[in-house]
Amino acid sequence: MSLREADRISSAQQTLDILFEMSQLLNTQLDKETLATCVGMIESGVNPEALAAVIQELRREGAALNAQATADGRESGAGR
Amino acid sequence: MSTSSLESLIYSLVPQARLDQVLKKELITHCKDVLSSHIGQTRQKDIGHLSDLVKRQLAQTRPDGISSLQFTNLLSRLLEQPVLSRKYDSLLFLHSLASSTRNPSPAPSFLPSLAPPPPLTARTPINSSPADGLPPTRLPRGKSKAEILRDFRNRSGRPHLSEELLLRDTLYLLQGISGKYIRFSPANDEGRDMSLVFTEDAGHFIPRPTKELIYRLSEVGHLYTRVDRFVRDRETLTGVGMIEQSLCHHLQSQLTDYYRLIAVFESQLTLSSKSLDDTASRAEPDIRAEESGLTLKRLDVWVNEWRLRMRMMSVCVEAARDTHGGALVNLIHSYTENGDPFVRKFTDQLLEEVSKPFFGTLQKWLFSGDLYDPYSEFFVSVDPGLAHLQYVHPSTPSAGFGTLSGDGGFAGLSGDQDEILERESGLRLWEAKHQFRKEMLPTFVGEGFGRKIFSTGKSLNFIRYSCHDTDWVATREKLNNTDGTLQYSDIAGLERSIDTAYRIASQRLFDVFFEKFRLLDHFRALKNYLLLGHGDFADQLMETLGPSLSRPANTLYRHNLTATLETAIRSSNAQKDPPDVLRRLDARMLEYTHGEIGWDVFTLEYKVDAPLDTVLDPDSMVKYLKLFNHLWKMKRIESTLTRGWMRTGSGTKAFVHIPELEPEWHRIRLYMAEMIHFIRQMEAYCQLEVIECSWKALMDFVHDKEGDLDALIDTHRSYLDRMVKKILLIGSRAGREENLLNQVRDAFSTIIQFHESTDNLYNFCLTESARRDSERDARRGVFTGAEQRNGQTPESLLRSLRQCMEHGAAFSEQTQAIVHSLQSHADLDCRFLGIRLSFSDFYRSKKEHPQQR
Repeated sequence: MSLREADRISSAQQTLDILFEMSQLLNTQLDKETLATCVGMIESGVNPEALAAVIQELRREGAALNAQATADGRESGAGR
Repeated sequence: MSTSSLESLIYSLVPQARLDQVLKKELITHCKDVLSSHIGQTRQKDIGHLSDLVKRQLAQTRPDGISSLQFTNLLSRLLEQPVLSRKYDSLLFLHSLASSTRNPSPAPSFLPSLAPPPPLTARTPINSSPADGLPPTRLPRGKSKAEILRDFRNRSGRPHLSEELLLRDTLYLLQGISGKYIRFSPANDEGRDMSLVFTEDAGHFIPRPTKELIYRLSEVGHLYTRVDRFVRDRETLTGVGMIEQSLCHHLQSQLTDYYRLIAVFESQLTLSSKSLDDTASRAEPDIRAEESGLTLKRLDVWVNEWRLRMRMMSVCVEAARDTHGGALVNLIHSYTENGDPFVRKFTDQLLEEVSKPFFGTLQKWLFSGDLYDPYSEFFVSVDPGLAHLQYVHPSTPSAGFGTLSGDGGFAGLSGDQDEILERESGLRLWEAKHQFRKEMLPTFVGEGFGRKIFSTGKSLNFIRYSCHDTDWVATREKLNNTDGTLQYSDIAGLERSIDTAYRIASQRLFDVFFEKFRLLDHFRALKNYLLLGHGDFADQLMETLGPSLSRPANTLYRHNLTATLETAIRSSNAQKDPPDVLRRLDARMLEYTHGEIGWDVFTLEYKVDAPLDTVLDPDSMVKYLKLFNHLWKMKRIESTLTRGWMRTGSGTKAFVHIPELEPEWHRIRLYMAEMIHFIRQMEAYCQLEVIECSWKALMDFVHDKEGDLDALIDTHRSYLDRMVKKILLIGSRAGREENLLNQVRDAFSTIIQFHESTDNLYNFCLTESARRDSERDARRGVFTGAEQRNGQTPESLLRSLRQCMEHGAAFSEQTQAIVHSLQSHADLDCRFLGIRLSFSDFYRSKKEHPQQR
């Protein structure tokens, strides 16, 4: 069990890199951290399409809040 | 569920939530709502399909193709990674996100419409895609693999031959001409089969796949040369059948189409090469040239149909070498039964063309009975020896015959030899002039119809040439020509026409035979004269001819016989018969040997000529004569017995003074009664049961008027055979067929002998009675005659008596044997004759009687 955990840790970085590249290729605009979180969630059994919808929602929410707030916030929110 | 990760997600995407707890909570509940929904849960996890979707998406956004390559690369690397257990889900997540980012307003195509609408939809998406804002930066096109390969080949000194050059050569090949780089070379001496030789040197290298392609293409060229050569050969040759000629014509027109195709290819080639020149300077090839230009592969596709067509044509050409005429049509027809609609259509067309001359010949044959077939391609062939044989038929009888019926007797005197010669040709002409050649019959006609066609044409031909009824045939032909022509595509119409023509022709043939040539009259005459149907005539003839026939054959003269015949005709009802019938009747003697008397050699004869001898052929006439001979004998016995019975009957009165012979006479009368019974039954059987019954069957056929001349001949033949078989009591056992006939003949001769001895006895009794009369007269003192006690002693009386009794007993035994044989005869009618002869088991009891004793 611990060996398996060790393997995961060693290659997790690599996998994450690949996925990140893919996400960049697909222009998903996720940063590495968020992507890692998402992948973790998916691995734990979250419905991927629903998760995609959630991300979508949250972005929209964030953007709306930014619009309400300052112009800087918008820049930073959209830039992600 | 990992609320912490969700929280971190919210924090990273909506930074405000860090400060605002209410917002955070709200968002978390909302997110959980969304996550717990069942969006797209039912999809199948097919990573290949998904990657295709992704690639398509990528291709839409960035058409350079590099990104999709990159993606493939990444995916393969990802799949190697052991860490993730749900790679598909991750990928799906990325894909969903990507597609939703690009076009967020409509739901992504694969999301079910049932998905709960996000509660924040009301807010307009502000940022659809940041990529849209960026200018479309196309990556500079790198060298494609093919270009790299070409460069490599050029460097290594093995450049591929450019496709344009190969194309040009291939177009030559399609026409059967060798090109610059590829050429045909004969594989063997005959030059029929060819192989392809590629000319390669350092500068030109043709890759294998291209070679294969060229091989495929060159097949068409090879086939083309074959077909072309065939057509050319036939053009120069003479004596080519019409069907073959039309085949050539069709092939030629097909080839013209082919030339047209080649011409189109050529123009395409020059066009594309020109556009290639134009675009040579530019880096990118012209898109139009790419779309429409000629390549080897395109050529292959376009030529594909022609390949099939050429193959069919070359098959036909090959076949035409060995077969010709109807057989060729047959062969082509065998290809119409093909499941491939292309092949079927092609062969149908071909057949339509090729069968035209065949149908021309058929039409002529079917409607006019003329065989116009200079190259012997039709399924009816004519015997060259008989083709031009026509005989002169006396349809207009010369003056002598019509007026004097007496001439009939002498008509036969002139040139028996010629007549025999002509007779032989009558049936032969019908049977052998035209032959049916089954192998030449096209299968689409069918053998039944083929036979009908054959029979129809034969009948017409016969009507025309043998019966000299050309006018009728010509009229018919004109009528039929208006119906339109026969052709392959209208088989049903063809069959209808055949049926009609067949019916009309056979009807006409019957009419000609029965009305023009009075065949029925001749049948009837044969029955009346040769089969003794006219009783009064036969009696008359017997009466007038009888005395002279008892003389030796060499003292008989033909003119006496014919004169007697004439008398018999004139004094009987026979004189009412048409003169044409009477003049054919003739009496003559068969060839005789020493010691034969007139009875043995006399015969009546009925002369038939063309075209009647088609039905009444010489064989039939021989049978008629045979029958006559037997019946005539029977008649003779009958008349002999009649006379004898009259004598014995009247003799009883005369012999009243010889009472000692009374019981002997009684026994003689008993024997005679037995004989009379025998001959009466025989005659009744022959006339009523055999001749009349057979005649009725023949008449039924004649009235039906169905079938053709062959059927008529067959029916007459069976009519005659039936009579021969039954009258002559032909048995079924091989080698002993005539046993019974011989027994009957023996019985006949016994009767004759019996009659002679009875005559002797009668004469003796007559003189004896006269002597006793004169004795009695002398006793009374009246002298009535000279006392002539001559040498007629009781010995001679006894001898005559003994002979009478012997012959009588012999006859009885013979009859018994005949009855016995008849009882086991195969034929039912003959068995009945046996029963009649031995009515009330007369002969059986007679047989048992001596056994009991």
